[in-house]
Amino acid sequence: MSLLKPFSKLPGLNTANILLVENEEQFQQKLADTVVLQEKTVNVNVRLARSLPLPMENEESRPRIDLVVFIIHLTSELSFQSAETSLKYLDPGYFQGKVCFLVTSARNVSVPPERLVSVRTLAASLHCPLLCAEDQTTEGVTTAARRLLAILKVAAGLVPMATGLYLSTLTRCTVPSDIDQQNFE
Amino acid sequence: MDDSTKRILQRLMRRIPSQMLQTMLGKWAHLSREDLHSLDFTQPKWVLTEHLLALCEENGLRVKHITELEMIYIIENPNQGMWHGFQLLDAEEDAPSIELTQFKKQFKANLTELISNVSIKIKKHTDEAIWIRVAWGDNFTKPNHLKPTYVVHHLQTPYVFVTGLTSKYKPLLNQALVLATRYGSMKDAHLSGRNLTAIRDLLMRQYQQVFPTKNPKPLQEKNPVPRNPNIEKEHAENTENRLQIACEAFGDGTLPQLQKAVYKLETKFRDNSNKTLTGREEPFRGVVEFASTNLLESLRHCVSSGTVSICLGLGFV
Repeated sequence: MSLLKPFSKLPGLNTANILLVENEEQFQQKLADTVVLQEKTVNVNVRLARSLPLPMENEESRPRIDLVVFIIHLTSELSFQSAETSLKYLDPGYFQGKVCFLVTSARNVSVPPERLVSVRTLAASLHCPLLCAEDQTTEGVTTAARRLLAILKVAAGLVPMATGLYLSTLTRCTVPSDIDQQNFE
Repeated sequence: MDDSTKRILQRLMRRIPSQMLQTMLGKWAHLSREDLHSLDFTQPKWVLTEHLLALCEENGLRVKHITELEMIYIIENPNQGMWHGFQLLDAEEDAPSIELTQFKKQFKANLTELISNVSIKIKKHTDEAIWIRVAWGDNFTKPNHLKPTYVVHHLQTPYVFVTGLTSKYKPLLNQALVLATRYGSMKDAHLSGRNLTAIRDLLMRQYQQVFPTKNPKPLQEKNPVPRNPNIEKEHAENTENRLQIACEAFGDGTLPQLQKAVYKLETKFRDNSNKTLTGREEPFRGVVEFASTNLLESLRHCVSSGTVSICLGLGFV
């Protein structure tokens, strides 16, 4: 199986590589441009993909991926399903702080709330952080880019005294269990 | 001006949106310059209508002038009401050489012969289209100008577009058109919609068509567009292929806006879990309907974004 492995290649000097996976291939381009512009001190490489597994032809030239971000548009069920199927092609080593979920249109009224709940349960079960982003304005894109860069730098090992695993225990998504909710009522 | 004329003008004024009013009246050219200047277009529309009515009374304008204004408005904004496309068949020998005056004479003569009380107005638009406005009446009533029929025909093409036609007068119009254009018969092209330009483009093939080429891939450019070296697409080849297929099937220009496509199917039913319908000898009849705000554009997007992974081949009738 062509799993994407986190530690099978050597890291680059002062380099961080991020992989943006999005079924619609629209937000990832804007995000990539902003991420590259925002970061001045570290050399950031962005790889854009539609889904996993990644094509074998790029296997040689591809650098070590430090952070995999799944962009899910809540307005489309297909987006969520595509992200779910792509998860199978990630080596389990990634789930220790090297995977992040980015969700758009969480505030949209026409989106069924069950979808966000299912994304949250998925992220919580995998112990990954869940970010909400606003993709229609430049400020929204810039904010999302900055947050991703913060997580990326830790995941790439460029921040002293912090590792991806350590950060993920602080930032991982939680879903309030039903027992807690009953106590409130 | 009698009451019915006033009513026609009032109805028309209600129909024309305020922004277009000044240009329409300018094009109409039946009001003198001073009169046009005296109209204050910042007033509410009903005040303007009263003023206009007074001016028309002064100038002694009649129904035929007002219907001219209506025609100008419809020609400028054809995308309203339901248009139906028709195709003329069995051209006779001199059909391709019909020219405007001959057509006008023939059509008017034919239609007035068939039904005595009609009001016909024919106008040639700049893009070679002939616009005909017909108001129908019968032996005892005057033509009803509140429910006119509009016909658009491009000379030397076998296509006709009609709106506002009731089934009562349909055979009369058909016969008049067929005789005037020197064809054998007229059949329904099964294409109808609100957007006249879309129907016309589809029927007369005026959209950007795709022709099969020997080398479908474009030539490599010597100076490629500078791309950010830090950003790389994993599925670049796949994306290119999809865009290529989409362009091959649909072309890369604007597509005519189609809202609904209905297909009548006659096929065989095949489902192993349903034995009663599968075993039948007679063909299975069904209707498939595609609906969207812009059907062809959404199909093209399906292909280019990879939502549909099969290569589609579409043919226009």
